[in-house]
Amino acid sequence: MTIRKLTLAIALVGGAFSALVPSASFAQAKEQFFPALPYRSGAYAPNGVPWANGFVDYMKLINARDGGVNGVKLTYEECDTAYATDRGVECYERLKGKANGAIFQPLSTGITFALTEKVGADKNSLITAGLGRSESSDGGVFKWNFPLMGTYWSGADILMQHITAKEGGNMKGKKIALVYHDSPYGKEPIILLQERAKIQGFDLTLLPVTAPGIEQKATWLQIRQTALTMCCFGAGA
Amino acid sequence: MFYRENGQFKTSYRADQQIFGITQDRAGVLLLIAFAFLGVPFLADEYMFRAILVPFLILSLAALGVNILVGYCGQISLGSGAFMAVGAYAAFNFFVRVDGMPVVLALLLGGVFSTLVGMFFGIPSLRVKGLYLAVATLAAQFFCDWAFLRIKWFTNDSASGTASVADLQVLGFAITTPLAKYLFCLCFLVAFGFLAKNLVRGAIGREWMAIRDMDVAAAVIGIRPMYAKLSAFAVSSFIVGVAGGLWAFVYLGSWEPAAFSVDRSFQLLFMVILGGMGSVMGSFFGAAFIVVLPIAINQFLPILGHMFGFTVDTAALTHTEFIVFGALIVWFLIVEPHGLARLWSVGKQKMRIWPFPH
Repeated sequence: MTIRKLTLAIALVGGAFSALVPSASFAQAKEQFFPALPYRSGAYAPNGVPWANGFVDYMKLINARDGGVNGVKLTYEECDTAYATDRGVECYERLKGKANGAIFQPLSTGITFALTEKVGADKNSLITAGLGRSESSDGGVFKWNFPLMGTYWSGADILMQHITAKEGGNMKGKKIALVYHDSPYGKEPIILLQERAKIQGFDLTLLPVTAPGIEQKATWLQIRQTALTMCCFGAGA
Repeated sequence: MFYRENGQFKTSYRADQQIFGITQDRAGVLLLIAFAFLGVPFLADEYMFRAILVPFLILSLAALGVNILVGYCGQISLGSGAFMAVGAYAAFNFFVRVDGMPVVLALLLGGVFSTLVGMFFGIPSLRVKGLYLAVATLAAQFFCDWAFLRIKWFTNDSASGTASVADLQVLGFAITTPLAKYLFCLCFLVAFGFLAKNLVRGAIGREWMAIRDMDVAAAVIGIRPMYAKLSAFAVSSFIVGVAGGLWAFVYLGSWEPAAFSVDRSFQLLFMVILGGMGSVMGSFFGAAFIVVLPIAINQFLPILGHMFGFTVDTAALTHTEFIVFGALIVWFLIVEPHGLARLWSVGKQKMRIWPFPH
């Protein structure tokens, strides 16, 4: 078999690589490139696909209805991260060369952590909408991280304010449970809730859900057994 | 004709014992190393360095470690991801907690801790074999996943449980540019590559291979199974641990235990099986196959779709990547069950007898 097939295989692979070269088309003038790092596959695809579709549809809408932003067409390219950090890093490296000062929105705290240092060096902006690193709320810590719509901490804080208002302002002796994804990003709100529990005097129960978070029966049984005042959900849970 | 050992006479024991006995091999390896150090920096761009070459180098190092255990000593292990994690987290703790700790020393100390953990989880290998051992080493994987996620001390009490390092420096050189990262990993790989190559052709490597081929016969001729198996676990997890440290420090920079999940263990095992069990060269082929091929498919398919006038959906792309990749693995295992390294040696044999077919 071998030599002929081997030559064929090498020719195919060589062809594949030579075809890769012209793909590096750079964005033209009057266009703004938006790299997209959605997760359309993997364990979290069920909530990643609608988001990704919305992002793309909005870009198309702006282009079709308004002819872009002030005449500047929006272009985009997707690179599927599957919510995995190493794939996300590869996607970032692949897409960052296509436009200067591009805005990246990794949609995953793991990828955010891995990219934080890289975006600083490359001078690309990193948007983390409602997720990301809590310390990036202070703009001086990471100059290129932009936590739009808050972080896990502000999210948990808003929730607690809402619950406190609903309970008539007095949280003493009340029971609050946090069902959280047992991973670094799932644990982000814990510290804030613990501090809040100390200040407001409520009981905090922490209920971890093992990644990827599909098996939650035992947790819910536990919740039914304890007479809770309110139950919060952490990311991914 | 071009590649044969005929006429290369060895006149001293030193010459007889050198790593690469054939002049062409020696020249080839030297040229390859010279090209990696001097040629690649001028040819590769930033994407190539950061997304392909650095992961390739680090995972080849890990595959080399796994190959020593699985390929040379025949002990199937599914705990490689865990040993990588131990290396990474131990190096992290040394680096963060000890003032002025050099990066290289931290990484090596990470390897030392990985060795200890690897030997501990290698103890079952004295009793159980084959698939049962694979299941036993899986315990290492789950234990380490559990420990690094929940014991706060390991991550330096970071609030979220994510470990991160910054400002890596070696002798005053900052390891921040893609080129510096590449060269840093390359130095490790070359050093450990020579170490592994030397080990497997020495007495200890022959003991491993004897245990792999038939452990009862090996014990009868005087090889201590405990010593041979545990030393294989030790050497393997040292190399894998250093690779884990590099993966965390140099490639990711900031990581969580998911970076060393059971998927990583399987990935490393597949690299060894596809690349060639019991072959140093095979580790490199396997790593290249598993690192580069999915990325190549992922980038190539949209272009292919473009040529025929339709856009490939991003999700379909990832799924096709899995399908094609899986199909290729099956195809390779059927056509060449001894791995890609076997193709390499067939090629060398052809060179040896060229221009004759037999």
